[in-house]
Amino acid sequence: MIEDNLQDNRDQSDGGQTGLRANVERIRLNLVERAEEWPGPIKSIVLAFTKLLTWAFWKPLIWALFSVVLAAIISAIIMEISGYNSLEAFSALIFGALTRFDRVLFESTPLIFAGLSVAFVFKAGLFNIGAEGQLYMGSMAAAILGYIIPLPYGIHPLVCLATGALAGALWGFLPGLLKAYRGAHEVVTTMMLSYTAILFTQWLAAGPLKEPGEFQWNAQTTLILETAQLPILWGYYLHAGFLLAIVCVIGVAFVLNRTVLGFEMRAVGFNEAAAETAGIDSKKNVALALGIGGGLAGLAGASEILGTHHRFYNSWSPGLGFEGITVAVLGNNNPFGCLLAAIFFGFLKAGGNAMHQQAHVPIEMVGVMQGLVVLFVAAPRFIQWIADQSLDYGKWFSVDKIRPISFALNMIIALYGTYFSFILLGETQLGLMFIGISAAVSILSIAAFFMIFARNSRGFIVSLIASMCWFTLAAVGMGAGVDVSFMILVGLVQAVLSVLALLLVKGAGKSKGDGA
Amino acid sequence: MEHDIKYAVELIGINKTFPGGVQANRDVTLKIREGEVHGLLGENGAGKSTIMNILYGFLSKDSGRIIIRGEEVEPKSPQDAIDRGVGMVHQHFKLIPPLTVTENVILGLEPSSKKPDRNNSLAVITATLLALFVLSFFLPPFEFLITAALLLAAIVLILYPPRVFENLMASTRFRAAFEKLVSDVRPLGFDDAAKKIQQIANENGLAVDPYAKVENLSVGLQQRVEVIKTLYREADILILDEPTSVLTPQEVDELFVTLEAFKKSGKTIILITHKLREPMALCDRISVLRDGVLVGTVKKDETSAEELAQMMVGRPVVFTVEKPPATPGSIILNVENLKVKDHRGLPKVRGVSFQVRAGEILGIAGVEGNGQTELVEALVGLRKPSDGTILVGDIHTTGKSPRFVREAGVSHIPEDRHRRGLILPFTIEENLTLGRHYRPPFISRPGILDLDKFRSVSSKLVNDYSIKGGGGGSLTSTLSGGNQQKLVVARELESGPKLLVAAQPTRGLDVGATEFIHKTLISMRNQGVAILLVSAELDEIRTLADHIIVMFDGRIVGEKRPEETDAQELGLLMAGHLEGEESVEVVN
Repeated sequence: MIEDNLQDNRDQSDGGQTGLRANVERIRLNLVERAEEWPGPIKSIVLAFTKLLTWAFWKPLIWALFSVVLAAIISAIIMEISGYNSLEAFSALIFGALTRFDRVLFESTPLIFAGLSVAFVFKAGLFNIGAEGQLYMGSMAAAILGYIIPLPYGIHPLVCLATGALAGALWGFLPGLLKAYRGAHEVVTTMMLSYTAILFTQWLAAGPLKEPGEFQWNAQTTLILETAQLPILWGYYLHAGFLLAIVCVIGVAFVLNRTVLGFEMRAVGFNEAAAETAGIDSKKNVALALGIGGGLAGLAGASEILGTHHRFYNSWSPGLGFEGITVAVLGNNNPFGCLLAAIFFGFLKAGGNAMHQQAHVPIEMVGVMQGLVVLFVAAPRFIQWIADQSLDYGKWFSVDKIRPISFALNMIIALYGTYFSFILLGETQLGLMFIGISAAVSILSIAAFFMIFARNSRGFIVSLIASMCWFTLAAVGMGAGVDVSFMILVGLVQAVLSVLALLLVKGAGKSKGDGA
Repeated sequence: MEHDIKYAVELIGINKTFPGGVQANRDVTLKIREGEVHGLLGENGAGKSTIMNILYGFLSKDSGRIIIRGEEVEPKSPQDAIDRGVGMVHQHFKLIPPLTVTENVILGLEPSSKKPDRNNSLAVITATLLALFVLSFFLPPFEFLITAALLLAAIVLILYPPRVFENLMASTRFRAAFEKLVSDVRPLGFDDAAKKIQQIANENGLAVDPYAKVENLSVGLQQRVEVIKTLYREADILILDEPTSVLTPQEVDELFVTLEAFKKSGKTIILITHKLREPMALCDRISVLRDGVLVGTVKKDETSAEELAQMMVGRPVVFTVEKPPATPGSIILNVENLKVKDHRGLPKVRGVSFQVRAGEILGIAGVEGNGQTELVEALVGLRKPSDGTILVGDIHTTGKSPRFVREAGVSHIPEDRHRRGLILPFTIEENLTLGRHYRPPFISRPGILDLDKFRSVSSKLVNDYSIKGGGGGSLTSTLSGGNQQKLVVARELESGPKLLVAAQPTRGLDVGATEFIHKTLISMRNQGVAILLVSAELDEIRTLADHIIVMFDGRIVGEKRPEETDAQELGLLMAGHLEGEESVEVVN
């Protein structure tokens, strides 16, 4: 029953009926009321469960899912335009990732730590841009302790992890102190200290701590002792660092929500002046938050070294710390959100290899997808606008049939025009003129699409101009001796549709096709 | 009869629900006549500002119709409203402090000068010549000549658009597009704008220096700038949102004179307020909103303050507070020769000394900005005093941290509840425990919060202080202003203080909430709490305080008992007229 409601609640992001939301809210309040009478542990479990029923819980999740879907659609278009089979690519990606799920979790492990680091600091109202540097410091500290002192199994990795966390924490605490007592902006200091850390560890690896012996392409330290290695849990890659990451997720959630420290940090993050007035030492909290965030990033580095690389390589991290920022954004700065977001990114990374091998799509496509997801998550207004407009269309369609359909047809042809002209952009042998006009067509078609989507009737005029451009393109193409019948067809359809829509709109006696 | 009346604005059946479920307007129908002063009265959270923001295009309505002068409009942004002659002066001014009055007024419609200012043209020409000089090093001679000719021609065209050229563009539409294109690169015509502002100011009696920086102006003058801004945009329907809440009594009188003048010149004025005095003094008709519903529209001549108050609150209101005589006990707060500097290092409190005893209310009156804010901040530990001592009971709290001061038994109701009082994204529970969250009973073991205790304590407080607008788990930002302030008061009183520092405790609150807070303060006093009340509202000070001190320019300029003085005398003291000089000043 409740599950059904949840499902409905999720669907309503597009449907937007408030009735369901009110229903779920009633159920939730009911549960909370009843839970008060139940004994301790059950009560807290039920209360935690009721949180799942709030709109505040589902909204960011739906937001993220919506962004993922949108990003997938756009990446599919990009793949199609560049001449790859998107269907094959996606199936390879998903299948590849699912069959090698150990790899997914392995790829996500450092991202969980890094994401937590950024998210935790963000809760205190600060930006930790320098997780990368903290991660390098942590990894170096762990790598050093891993080979210089022999310790028994079980204790050795713990000591290394603790030292790594400490090193990262120190590297985060420093900008924290600067921020709290000198007002130096943490974005600048963490960023700059990040480069300092990378160069410092590079120097260590290439100089004093360089592995003795023959010539190395890439500077590296001595292999850590076997006692210091983290055990492999599953498959070839997944090491115990993943368990530690899960523990950290729960720990961070606990600290933020259930401790005085987390309470004070959130207070400082939301409103520093009010927190100070209430007697909270905001300076202490600022410095501590960056310190703890640095510690989490340090753990990321340490666990990677102990679990995978087993020694410090020069520039071993491909920007994991910076990816932590995107993880935190996608995870809405919530610890569990970060966990899901990191696993999603791990999924993309693991599946990306399969996609590359089977569908021959360049591995960089994964980066494009990640970027698109974050872009859409970080641009809620754009999504909101699209959702609102779609909703309006739904309402409009229920009162009027012909005009919405003509609008929709126009949008489809504009989109198709964009796609087709993008493909033509690749035909470089047809000369500059041809390319120029197809570029113009694609821009015009995109503009027309969005204008019609916003129900601005000028979009049809733009669409008409685009159709004229198709004819010009056909003329130019004819001179170059290619088959232009398809271009003429697209142009004709677009011209007819836009003129029809214009007539319809004018017939309604309004300059804007207004549904109400 | 009815159809003869011309309406400036008609709002028909407006509904608005905020995300989060608060229904701010429920089927509100308002008709405002051409040329009248219309009061929009209601408690905080009654939906007055919401409906005006809908009219002004700041918010979108869920349903309903908006008709401005017979034309049905769908304002999508304030620009749509401005185009139709609607201007709004917001409660919180929308000005940019470091810019001058002129720059603020023309913001958004920066005029390009037809006749360019000499300085501007000189600057443009100098820059062009400099650019050409640099270019001459990089380009071969022939190309340089062509570039130079083109650039100079463009500059001349932009600065002095020739007649011929304008006539060539027969279509006005293309000309408008061209003008728009060119106006972005043309120099700004500040002088013309300043002249126009000066003219508007003179015509309407709103004297202000167009070249003064806004940050150097008093609040009253800033409000003038806001009014001028609407007039500059040729507004003849003026919406004023709580215009008097930031003004001194004298400034309020000046504003009323201005509004009278506007009315004579045929402008329509909508005055949003929660104070009963104002619409009774100024308005022709008054509409009262309560809980988002229009209670009724009455003519001023046919109503009374009592009736309006009843419409607003929904029940008869007692204007006076029952106050038994004070029984002062021992000295709780002893301030000696306190000096405090503000964040720019300028002395704001220049040596004040006073005592507050248990079971009495000491009121500090004064126009805002005369050192009260800094004094309060020093008392509660937010600002380190540069000199002097503060004793709470027998504990030295001079320069100690806010937590130390709190633990010494001081509670603080901050003057700005949004900035200092509350953490709006926190839940009600979290805000109610803020400041006490780190000690038992709110922790189960060191460092770990006891969320059950949070819940039980807050649900008790929500009941006791009748904080309406959701249970303990809802966000504080969804509460109305009055309920937010009740929350602050509840939290500060529950910690069992010896001394309560209340700064502007009823600012921006409606009749009902003000009454509640006054009663609470009096009952705390009767229980033996020492209360320091800082307020800009003279009436409040006079009804509540047992002693009044008046602050002006960081000093105490007068010490009175409320029964020995009157508003006139206090007003003069607040304006800086020392005793003995009064007669001279009055003659002037």
